[in-house]
Amino acid sequence: MSINLEQAKSGQQPLPGQTAKTPAPANRLMSTRTGSKLVRDYWDNLFTARERGATVVWYNGAAINPILQAAGVEYCHGEAFGARLAAMHLEGPAQQAGESYGYINELCSYARTTIGCALLTQKGAADNVEMDEHPDIPPKEIMASRLPAPDFFVNAYAGCSTGQQWDEISYRLFNKKLPFFKISYPLLWGNKPDAGYIRGEEWETASRYVADQIYKLIEFLEFQTGRKFDWDALRESMFYIKKAAELRLEALDLCAARPTPAVFWDWIASIAPINFLPGTPALVDYFAEMKAEIEQRLKDNVSALPNERYRLMFDGIMNWNKVGWLANKFAEHDAAVICGRYTHTSFWNEPHFIDPEDPILGMAKHYLLCPFNHSAKNLGEVMLRDCEKFGLDGIVFHATRTCRSASNGQMVVAQMAQKKGLQTMFFEGDVADESFYKDEVLQSRLEAMLETIDVQRARIA
Amino acid sequence: MASSQKENEIIQSLADIAADPSAYASAWKQRTGGKVVGIMPMNFPGELVHAAGALPVVVQEDRATITLGRSLIYEFYCGYTRSLVDQSATGKFEGYDAFLIVDHCVALLGAIDAMRFEIPDTPIYLAQFTASMDEPWSPPQVRGRIDELRARLEELCGRKIADGDIATSIAAFNRNRGLLRRIYDLRRSGVAPITSRQMQALVKSAMVMDIDEHSARLEELVPLLEARTAEASRLPKLHLSGNFCHAPHPELLDMIESCGVVVVDDDLYTGYRYIATDVPADGDPAEALTRWYFNRNTNVPCSTRAQKSADWEGYLAKAVEKSGASGIIILIAKFCEPHMLYYPELRKELRRREIPHLVIETEHEGLPLEMLKTRVEALVEHIKRPVRSAEAV
Repeated sequence: MSINLEQAKSGQQPLPGQTAKTPAPANRLMSTRTGSKLVRDYWDNLFTARERGATVVWYNGAAINPILQAAGVEYCHGEAFGARLAAMHLEGPAQQAGESYGYINELCSYARTTIGCALLTQKGAADNVEMDEHPDIPPKEIMASRLPAPDFFVNAYAGCSTGQQWDEISYRLFNKKLPFFKISYPLLWGNKPDAGYIRGEEWETASRYVADQIYKLIEFLEFQTGRKFDWDALRESMFYIKKAAELRLEALDLCAARPTPAVFWDWIASIAPINFLPGTPALVDYFAEMKAEIEQRLKDNVSALPNERYRLMFDGIMNWNKVGWLANKFAEHDAAVICGRYTHTSFWNEPHFIDPEDPILGMAKHYLLCPFNHSAKNLGEVMLRDCEKFGLDGIVFHATRTCRSASNGQMVVAQMAQKKGLQTMFFEGDVADESFYKDEVLQSRLEAMLETIDVQRARIA
Repeated sequence: MASSQKENEIIQSLADIAADPSAYASAWKQRTGGKVVGIMPMNFPGELVHAAGALPVVVQEDRATITLGRSLIYEFYCGYTRSLVDQSATGKFEGYDAFLIVDHCVALLGAIDAMRFEIPDTPIYLAQFTASMDEPWSPPQVRGRIDELRARLEELCGRKIADGDIATSIAAFNRNRGLLRRIYDLRRSGVAPITSRQMQALVKSAMVMDIDEHSARLEELVPLLEARTAEASRLPKLHLSGNFCHAPHPELLDMIESCGVVVVDDDLYTGYRYIATDVPADGDPAEALTRWYFNRNTNVPCSTRAQKSADWEGYLAKAVEKSGASGIIILIAKFCEPHMLYYPELRKELRRREIPHLVIETEHEGLPLEMLKTRVEALVEHIKRPVRSAEAV
């Protein structure tokens, strides 16, 4: 049987070795396939960077890719590659390499996966492993080792201390020989009374501090490449990114409709494009296509779920091994996951800050707006706002085993939500390590929460 | 009174205070009318709090089972952070007037944030020190945070902090660190076979006591230790490494020493790491505190800081050479990410240098000591073998 890899990873088709299931109840957007192709093409191109004589940078954290693009270098976003491997169920060899090297499995699985890739890249595994037989799925170890080795590193990790430390290790894995630039971010903690989501003195001060570091990064890139930075290219890129971000937000807002025309899992499938694809007309076209499909669904009364009964938020970072699985799991229970912290409060989510003519400060603000760089107070403010905006019944918290950054504040926010009459539940999983996911726990807790929502509605009625 | 008895009395009195910092803080508060300020590990300059006339207390892990804290923070956070949240939820922080933090650790910040919701009337202030040490713009940032802390403490304590106050506090802390380092020297040389439990009590009490009072007791203790004439032990010597932010449980230290070894040195946070580096005594005192932050990571590198030129593994190798230790036990607090992330770098270097080592994950809830004892004994046997291999046990 020939299967399509994108369908397989979204849970619509079984992977080799898995048995066929009943048709998926989630009616996923078709347009996300365009995004999947753009992303696949991006990685395939990056894999050939060395053959093309390109300069390659490995970076982690914020979406500094427009700056790298304008500097004329090719770039690999570490978490994005880790997420891709996990979504394709190809993370195993990299994680095993990390384990063999000495990493305990309680360590951030993004870090373990990406460092494992670095180990495999250095090992030259591509020449030494057997090819997987399936034509659509890249050979496991080869996929993890295809990253071109870096010429230098840039770390730009907001919120998570591990994210910064992880690149220190990458730097050491390459024998401390490669140039390495780091951007530091203050946590949006809120010491002062005027502090809150995108307001207050701390926010303004932090934004300027990060902007100053971006200018330093540009000087670093000019030195490393021996070329003047192409400011026009950055302005052009940010013009397209702003346009794409606006279209994405407009499309997200359309999902306030009942029943919703698209769900959180569709937005998850669109994270890679908005996170790191180059700012080009193709990016704008992609989000225009998504928005058009949603508008068409609204016009045709087509919903994401055949029988939407519950409207939920998903909090936490994605469980990349389980995207399709979770999409179907919630759909089977008529639970439409409408929005999420990860999808709705990140990735150029405040495009009004972007001035394409003078983009640096607006970019700095977005880097600070990493959804894991907030105090619980800020998180509560933003998440409860979205619960109200989308008319939600409850919040599902993904307790992400190896990601303290995504887990911080969740229990506090749950208490804030409960005070507002929202139902909450927690399930255990992980960003890229499947072993921490416990399906029965999710199943029973989801059923319990949905029953509670029913009881709550009955009481009100 | 025999000098050994006097030594024991001093150490025990400090151990008693270390075991119950809240009781000491309450008594201090009653006696002085000053504020008690909880400071969080591992880089907070306690001198600033002292200069404001308040008592800086490095907040310790509590041995109580985590109960109410479980509804605020997940079980996959380190024991220290879970204990902090639990202590706030169970009313154990009532004696503190404020909490201050400078360290950027994702788990610690998550815990402190949860504390803010549990004890909303207690000020909790983050003055985030830039964790990346390499950039020329990092020191001015840290200096800015120190100035903020100074202003916050002035507000909290209702008094101006003069440069001279900070300089006096720096001198007091340097004196204390110097006394503790002298004890470490005596321990390394074998003159004063201080046990790990005792050493921990000496450092931990320094973290929670009035610094001058603590130094006064050490001034009594050091001459007694210097007067010892004990011959250096012939047992295999070990170095204990790691365990950031909080102290390893004393029973673990006892168990290790019961395996026929003597611990001669460490780089534990509740140990040598805490007292290794003095604040420069010259120049502007706030600037000196800034320099101290950067100096201490060069002096005893820590994987919680991001510094290309600092190598913990290199430090460990030199420490072992200096103390004559023939092996290292690395204590990793379970779920401590910076330590888990860096451990393979330590392992690589220790193997290269053929330094036997053993890793023990420490946990808040207690440890299977008998099982661990077997592993420590295996390490000891490994060390005793005439021809060593570099394999970790």
